[in-house]
Amino acid sequence: MPTETAAILAEGVRRDFGAVSGLGPLDLTIDDGEFVCVVGPSGCGKSTFLRIVAGILRPTAGEVTIATRGDGKVPLSMVFQDHGIYPWKTVEQNVRFALEVNGFGRAEARRRTDHWLGQLGLAEFRTAYPSTLSGGMRQRVGIARAFALDPEILLMDEPFAALDAQLRQVLQEELLGLWQRDRRTVVFVTHSLEEAILLGDRVVVMSARPGRVVRSTEVPFERPRAAAVRDSAAFADLKAQLWDCLRHEVDAYLATVTGGTDA
Amino acid sequence: MPSQTLTRAETRRILRAPGRQELAPERWARLLRTRDLALGVGVPLLLAVLWQVACDAGWIDRRLYPSPVDIVRSAWDMWQRDSLWPDLLASLRRTGLGYVIGSAVGALFGVAMGLWRPIRAALDPLLNALYTVPKLALLPVFLTVFGFGELPVVALIAVTVFFFIWISTMSAMLAVPAGYREAGVTLNLSTWQMFRHVMLPAALPEIFVGLRIAAGVSVLILVGVEFVLGGNGLGHVIEQGRTTLVLGQTYVGIVVVALVGLVFSMVVQLIGRLLMPWNRSGSVIRQL
Repeated sequence: MPTETAAILAEGVRRDFGAVSGLGPLDLTIDDGEFVCVVGPSGCGKSTFLRIVAGILRPTAGEVTIATRGDGKVPLSMVFQDHGIYPWKTVEQNVRFALEVNGFGRAEARRRTDHWLGQLGLAEFRTAYPSTLSGGMRQRVGIARAFALDPEILLMDEPFAALDAQLRQVLQEELLGLWQRDRRTVVFVTHSLEEAILLGDRVVVMSARPGRVVRSTEVPFERPRAAAVRDSAAFADLKAQLWDCLRHEVDAYLATVTGGTDA
Repeated sequence: MPSQTLTRAETRRILRAPGRQELAPERWARLLRTRDLALGVGVPLLLAVLWQVACDAGWIDRRLYPSPVDIVRSAWDMWQRDSLWPDLLASLRRTGLGYVIGSAVGALFGVAMGLWRPIRAALDPLLNALYTVPKLALLPVFLTVFGFGELPVVALIAVTVFFFIWISTMSAMLAVPAGYREAGVTLNLSTWQMFRHVMLPAALPEIFVGLRIAAGVSVLILVGVEFVLGGNGLGHVIEQGRTTLVLGQTYVGIVVVALVGLVFSMVVQLIGRLLMPWNRSGSVIRQL
């Protein structure tokens, strides 16, 4: 278990969109090597938080400090909800290009590309363009790219949201396996409590917009974890507890959405 | 803000904090607007000043290349003698008329060919062949058909504009994402409704790219034709200045043509913005 790699510290992070307050103030500490799942109602700012950590967006107030080893490793990479892969590059090029621009040598980039395309079952589609692939395969390209970079911190923004239920389950299990073999800090945003409990060391529940942390719960199931924990009574119990908390926020969200002009 | 958890053996910190843009959004927006304006006006002004300095210092022969101040003086003289306005007006009328006619017919063909495959099959090779013919080369034909006067000039501009609008409209129609049409089908849209509510709005941004290009090209053709035909118009002003060695007049003509082109494309852009309120940020037409 790595203990001296990276950590994220968010202090009073807010993000407004025009006059609308979208996020926070949010305080959150994420330890290195920790797999944190963030759940919350629609529009609560969980993706916004991830984008701030990723450096895509700046906070309106507060700050996020990310501590990295700085030993030449890529500090962060992100898996986007809508893949974020380039239609004009083949599967292989999408992954290799990310490696090459990040300073990996040609041979190393090739080796890692081969490895991760293999891991994600994409080897035979390496020369295919994304437009010829299914949504699930495109998402796997996005995941392969992020993993191949071997970042200190992995940010995942509802990576499985657009997938069908079976594929989602398979990829969850793959991710579980990958992470347990090769641990690192992960911030994983999702709508699914089940996914959050299955994957995370900790589940953070966010409030309705503007999102704040309302609950942070350690997941008690030990590692390495198998997908079978889903079927345990303790799993269902924890899920029910978290759902109680989340439902309250979802109701609050629905009230603002259906309650007319009050944004 | 040092903290409890960030004391480990890390050697590098990444900080995500508000920038100037977030801390003072209004001031930032104002700053950007001011900067854009200053650059847009300042760069041409700077070049004009350099030109003036080069003339005054004698690096450039003023008799062949009049200085900006000389050009402004010439423009003022011409304006006083009422010898600029009629030419400008004549040119504006020709371009405007040719542009509107060419755009309308081009859009019509583009829509028809974009939506109906047989029409596309029938006309695509022919129009592609004609597209490559330099339109100025058609002038003799147009003179024969339309006689002298305004008509051949307007027609030539219209034909030139036609091709640009035809191509951009047709390709825009063909590029409309299938999903939009599929949703329309399930909403039971009639052919007209599908065109009005789906195809046209989806194609509009690209059509406007064509319209902006055509605006510039129509001025190009205008000046070319007026060069050849003489009589009046801005092209005539330029050419006459050259032949009679009143070079100030030539340069005034060039500057006025440039300004006409600028205003023209700004007007097209403005219309585009008004017609496409959904296309505010990050659109092609906005960045053009």
